[in-house]
Parts: sequence; structure tokens; C-alpha cells
Amino acid sequence: MTEIVQQSVATPANSKGGSTPTGRMLQLAASRMDFRIGFLGFSLLVVVAIFLPLISSIDPIKMSYGAKLLPPFPAEGWRWPYLLGTDQLGRDVLMRCLVGLRYSLLIGVTTVILMFVVGCGLGLYAGFRGGWVDAVIMRLTDAQLSIPMIILAIAILGVSRPTVPAIILVLGLSGWPLYARVTRSVVLGERNRGYVLGERVLGASDLRIMLLFVAPVVLPPIAFVAVLDIARMMIFESILGFLGLGVQPPTPTFGNVIADARKYLLNAWWIATMPGIFMLVSLTCLNLVGSALERARNAVLRGEA
Amino acid sequence: MTNPILAVSNLCVHLQREGRRLPIVDNVNFALMPGEVLGLVGEAGSGKSVLARALVRAISSPLEIAHGSVVFEGRDIMTLSPRGLTSVRGNRIGFIGANPMGSLDPRLPIGDQIVEKLRSVKPKIGRAEAREKVLDLLARVHIPSPNARFHEAPFQFSGGMMQRVMIVDALVSDPSLVIADNITQPLDVTVAAQIIRLIDDLRQSINTTFLFISSSLPVVAQIAERVLVMQRGRIVEQGRTAELVANPQQSYTRTLLSRIPSIWKDVTSPVAVEGEAVLKVDNVTRTYFVRRRGTFNSYNEVKAVRDVSLTIKSGENFGIVGESGCGKSTLTRLLAWLEQPDNGRIAFLGKDLSLLTRRSLIEMRKSFQLLLQDPYGSLPAGMPVQRMIEEGLLIHGIDRAQAAPLAREAMAEVGLDGDLAGRLPVGLSAGQRQRINIARALVLKPRLMILDETLSALDQVEQTELLDLFNRLQATHGFSYVFISHDLALVRRMCHRVAVMYLGRVVELADNATLFERPHHPYTRALLSAMPTLEDNRFSRAQYLLDGEPPSPINLPEGCSFRSRCPRAQKDCEKVDPSLFALDDGNYAACLHTYGALTQKETADVE
Repeated sequence: MTEIVQQSVATPANSKGGSTPTGRMLQLAASRMDFRIGFLGFSLLVVVAIFLPLISSIDPIKMSYGAKLLPPFPAEGWRWPYLLGTDQLGRDVLMRCLVGLRYSLLIGVTTVILMFVVGCGLGLYAGFRGGWVDAVIMRLTDAQLSIPMIILAIAILGVSRPTVPAIILVLGLSGWPLYARVTRSVVLGERNRGYVLGERVLGASDLRIMLLFVAPVVLPPIAFVAVLDIARMMIFESILGFLGLGVQPPTPTFGNVIADARKYLLNAWWIATMPGIFMLVSLTCLNLVGSALERARNAVLRGEA
Repeated sequence: MTNPILAVSNLCVHLQREGRRLPIVDNVNFALMPGEVLGLVGEAGSGKSVLARALVRAISSPLEIAHGSVVFEGRDIMTLSPRGLTSVRGNRIGFIGANPMGSLDPRLPIGDQIVEKLRSVKPKIGRAEAREKVLDLLARVHIPSPNARFHEAPFQFSGGMMQRVMIVDALVSDPSLVIADNITQPLDVTVAAQIIRLIDDLRQSINTTFLFISSSLPVVAQIAERVLVMQRGRIVEQGRTAELVANPQQSYTRTLLSRIPSIWKDVTSPVAVEGEAVLKVDNVTRTYFVRRRGTFNSYNEVKAVRDVSLTIKSGENFGIVGESGCGKSTLTRLLAWLEQPDNGRIAFLGKDLSLLTRRSLIEMRKSFQLLLQDPYGSLPAGMPVQRMIEEGLLIHGIDRAQAAPLAREAMAEVGLDGDLAGRLPVGLSAGQRQRINIARALVLKPRLMILDETLSALDQVEQTELLDLFNRLQATHGFSYVFISHDLALVRRMCHRVAVMYLGRVVELADNATLFERPHHPYTRALLSAMPTLEDNRFSRAQYLLDGEPPSPINLPEGCSFRSRCPRAQKDCEKVDPSLFALDDGNYAACLHTYGALTQKETADVE
């Protein structure tokens, strides 16, 4: 009986062109409005953040005492530069936000890719091999998880210069164990599945089974969740910046701009608010994409699509 | 004539899906008389379980009861208030399902859970009284030391014992009707036979009516006086069991009957073939070490395979049978060289596998292939069919251009439509999936195929088709097969020689005819007596069926490991652990007191 229900549920899904489960998830996600809005908004921000500072002649660190603390757009009509006003040193807020977004994206995306590759790679290996390999890697994650991210950041970034690679290293170090653990636990469930055994019987090597068969099953769902993690890493980047452990001034980042602007909150609210809005919009877009992917995944796993 | 206890009229259950309504139970009418056992048979998907649930209105979306009435003890269940329903479900109507291990909370003692259930349906019963009642019933379903087991959690029970617990759970509220849905399906044959015998005993003493649902007519026929035959949601035939079996009226019932394999009547046993030895297993032992609970470095030895020797000849079908826990899965893994034996030697085509280099072992792997039981889990989900079949060739260094035509050829040979080549396995039937598995093995041109319950997930029709395919492949390629199965009927039909395993040891190794017609070992006779058949069983249950369950492989008894359950056990069985004795007709049995044919000389040797 259950078979009948499953079959009648499964058939329409198959006919819907979707090929692999991952393909179906992407298809389903792309059909959702929240995914489209998020994806469009985020792509727009990325394009603007990358290209506007390149083609524009406005220098985000150039100070201009004559133009300090100018209010943003509607207040005194259209103005270019200084569309979103200027800060206490007369620097263009829009350009500073865009450069901040650039760093935030650069650090967020690179960190997640790094964590994903290292964490999932180690988790895959640990779960598949088991035994002492597994024990060593898992104790490593335990050790790593016992060090809070902020302490680690102070230790590393306080001693060395807080450059972009150093920040990525700190965030990546504190984030990979999660990926390793999740991957390992899924792999543990997969490694005794029939298809793995089937490959063994055919004579396939461990590496082949891991990369060609286990990884494609295990990694896509984790990759979907990783999209949400980009947003988290971007927030961490701003936290570090706010604490003075991020990319150092005069280079503007969301964190250090907001930290500097605190003093002016009452008479020049836009200096801190504009980067906040940029963060809000970009993170919302990312979360829309991430959660749409996750919902699509859940729907596919439940057999609803 | 008395009134029926349950009268179902015009019951319809529909499946709502995307605006379409699919009838799952279609206009069903029947009545149950007090005290009778009514069987309900039908294939998987015929709507039996839905019907069972609809009887107590336990139906949820996307299923819905379209119309009909179920009158139970004078009240129509379809119109009962929620309160009225609780007074019926689990109270006047008990239910036993096919998943004994998953039916109770795994963390809590079984006794407490049953007491709680009883008190929730009968709040007037006091705690002490409920406890008494549960203990009494635990004893009546023959659970040893009920007082101790009352406090044990479900994982401490075996499947068969847990099914007894579920029977207690169903009977504890003194129901007038018990619905038993496929209760023997997850159990081994001897345990299933014990459960059937138990229910048969119980119904004499407790005056309960049973609705006994199963997908197997022989199982139902063991216990039911009347049978309903269900097909696609309809009752196509009903009648007294004996009459229905002897003289079926409907063509569907006839088909159902014709698919039941015969064991003794008009059977020509496949005769052993002579050929060179393909796989030779000598005194193989495999022990697992399991950490003892609560300790840091002491281990229990689980002797999964003990001193097994067998030889599989070219062109032969070799069967390995036994119940769960007998070591056949471990032996399979050893035969497929997925694990290495602790002791002993496995030689393939004369070469000891443990002495091969890595490279030549991979090369050798092509010649023996394992086909797995689960057609769903054994295929990688995201890979097109043809690519999957090519996989074996790609592993062994053949490039895709050369592999593709070979894969197509194999697909055609196993009867897979060429259009499937680019498809993903999603939505393919179990039979098609097993064909893919066969093709995957076939491209490597093996000599030996090990079939680990390969057909058990398939229905009768698909099984028959695949068996024909196996025969065809054997004729063209000269394969040898090892059938590892708990399905004795399948083994009877296909295998030339059969090994029976018990607690990690081969207890009898004989040709098909000997094994099924005059087996020497008491365990073999017990297995045969437990087999549900429509024909007269040559080995009566009263005489041969075993009580109890196999001892734990951790603490094997001294002497013969079967003696704790053996009806013929004598004094000397406590001392000697018999290995396989050669019998005069070329067969072997590991018993000091075989039925019949032990030769004089060896009897003398033993004494």
C-alpha cells in the first residue's frame, strides 16, 4: 500500500524533467519568487560592488574638508558624488559602502569555499575511512570547536597584521569543524549503503568511490546550507571590523565604518546607517536564496516535488 | 445464526492526488463471525493494510474514506464520536503490525508501556492489577521469565520475542477483535511458525476473533478458516480456506495459487552437476570483536562464521540457507572478499585470494560478482543507467568508447529496453533495477555470481522472470551461482546443492533431493516443517518444529551448538561439537544422531 502512494507521488516528479535530485532542487528553488528576488538583488549588489568603484573616479578614502557631513540624497536633491552623503572627513559614503561590501563579499565567499573544501574533504575522508583516521580528525574538530572564534581572532589578528588572508584564515579555522562533522555523519550513513558495496564488488578504489559516488550524494545539501553560511561569515567579518580586528582603516569595511560613525549617530545618522542598510539588503537577499534552496531541498527529500 | 461481530458494507477508500481520485479500497463487503479467524490475502499494493486501517478509521490524508459502513458490536465506526472511537481502538479492537521493533518507545521498559496503554483505554483498572494482567499475558505468549523481561526495553528483545510482546499489547485489553497485519513478514520461518502456533493456541483460550492479513496465501491458510482474496482494492473471492485452495472460482485466485511454488508435489529436483571447482572455501572462520558494554577494553567474541568448508563447482547452483543471525551475511561478505577470514582459506579458480597482490586481486574481482538484496539502495541515484553498467569496465581501465557497446549488449541480454540507457534509476521498478545490477556484473564476464537475497524484494512474477534470466545466462555463459536465501521454495527450485547454516556453522550440506526429502539434520527438518505450504508438509510441526530461539553467538554452549533446541539431543551432544560427517550418498551432516544414513564406520568413530 505504501508503495502505491509512493509511486503515485514519485511519478509526476520524474516526469517533470528534473534529472538528479540536486537538479530538481535547483529547478524547484528557481521557480520560487523569494529565490528570484534574492538572487536578482544579490547579483545586482555584487555587480555594483565590483564594477562601480572600478569605473567611478570617486576615491573612497579621499578626504574633503569642504564637503564633510553632507546629508544623503533626498535632503539636498540629486548630487553626484556624495549621493548618500559624506562622513565626518568628507568621504563619499556610497563609495565607502560599496568598498565595504566588496571586502565583506570577498571574505565571506572565500571563507565559505575554504571551509567547505577543507571541512567537507576531511569529513568525507574521516567518515569513509573510519578507524584511527576518523578518531584523529574528529579530535581535531573537538579541539578547534573548544576555542571561541573571537578569542582565536584576537590571538591571531592581534599578533599578525589583520590582512584579508589572515581574516579568512581565522574565520575558516573556526568554521571548518562544523562542515567536517556534518559531512562525516552523513558519510557514516552512506558508506554501508548498497551502492558503495556494489562499487567495491566491481573492484573500485576507495578514492573513486568517495569522489565519484559518495561525494555527489553527500555534498549538495551541505552546499545549499553553505549559501546561508556566507551571510553568517559576512556578519563575522563586520564584527571583527567593528572590534578593530578586521581590515584596517583607511580601507573602509562595514565594521570599521560603523565603529567610527558611532560618535556621529545623533547629528549624522547616515554614516552608520547606510552601511547598515547595505548589509541588511545583501544579507536578506542571501538568506532568501539560501532558505529557498533549503526549502526546495526539503520538499524534494519529502517527495513533494 | 449469531450476529457478526464486524460487518463491513460498501467500504470505499480513495487516494486524493492532484485532483484525481484513485480507489484504494473499492466497495468492500464482508462480515466476521465471533471467534473465527478470517484471512485476507492479496499482493503488495492490493489495499490490505489500508482496509485494515479503515476498519478503525485510522485513515489520514491523502487517503479518505469515501463511503461505506463498518458496524462493530452494533455501532457504526464511521459515525462514532472521537470519544467513541477511543473506546473501540486499542480497546475492543487490538492491532498487531509488521514492525514489532518500531512499535514501542525504544527507551522505556515494555511492561510499563503496555500497562500505560491498558490504563489509558481502561482507566478503571488499577496499576497493580494492570501489571498482574500484563505479566500473566507475557507468560501466556511463552516469553521466558516474564518478571524480568517486563522491565526490559525493546532493543533487548529479538524480533520474534518482540512480536510476542506486541501480541500481549494487542490482547491486554481483552479485545473482541484483533487485526493482525502481516505479523509474520519480518520474522524467520521457524519463528513465524511459532507465532502462528501461538496465535492458534491463544484463540482457543481467549475467544477472540482475528482478522489475519498476509500477502502469502500459504501463511494465511495455516490459521484462517475463511479467506478473502483481495486484488486492486476489491474482494475478488471469498470462501472456506480448504475449498478456496482446492477449487478456486476466480481466475485471479487461480493465478495466485499457480504462483505458489511446490515443494514436494511433482517436483523434479535439479541434479548436481559435475564440473571443476570454481570457489573453494576451506575451514573459514570469522570472529567479530564487540566492545563489552560499560567496559573500556574488554571485548566479546561474536563467532559469526565457524569453520565453514564448501566447494562450488563450475555451472552449479549452490544454495546457502539459514535464519537471521546464522552467519550467512558474513559468509557472503567473505565469499565476495569484502572481508577477509581470520582463519582458513578461500581460493578462487585455484588461487588463494589472500595471497594475491593488490593488482591481481582487482583483476580477479571481475570473475566473482555479488548481487545485492536491496534494488533501491544498491544503485547510485544520480547516474544514468548505461553509465552505471559501464562502471565496472571503466574501473578496469577500459575507455568509454569501448565500454559503451559492451554495456548496450549487456542491457539487451538482461532484457533492459535500450531507451533506458540515458535514464536515471529514479522510477524504475525493483525488477528493472535488479536487471541493471545483473548487467553491471555481466559486463565483467564473471564466472561466479553470488546472489545475496537478490530476489527477496521482488514479487512472484518478477522473481520468476529473473530466475528464467539466470537460467538463460547460465546456459550461455556457464555461470555458477550461489543463492543466499531464506526462501526455501526458491532454493528448492534452483539449487543443485544446498548448505544449511546454524550459528555460523554449516550443519548440513546435501543435494537438493536429499535435503528436501530426507534431510539428516534435525535443524533442516525443523526449517522444512516451519515452511508455510498449501501441500501437506512432509515434516509435521508437531514433531519437528523448534521451540525457543538460537542462543547468542557470544556465549555458545559447549558441545553441539544446536543441542539447546534439538529434539534428539543426547548426553554425548553436550561434549562433542560435531563437524560435518560424510554420509554414504556424498552428503554431509553435522550431527551425532542423524536421521538414518550415518554409516556404521563413522558411528563407531564417534563413539
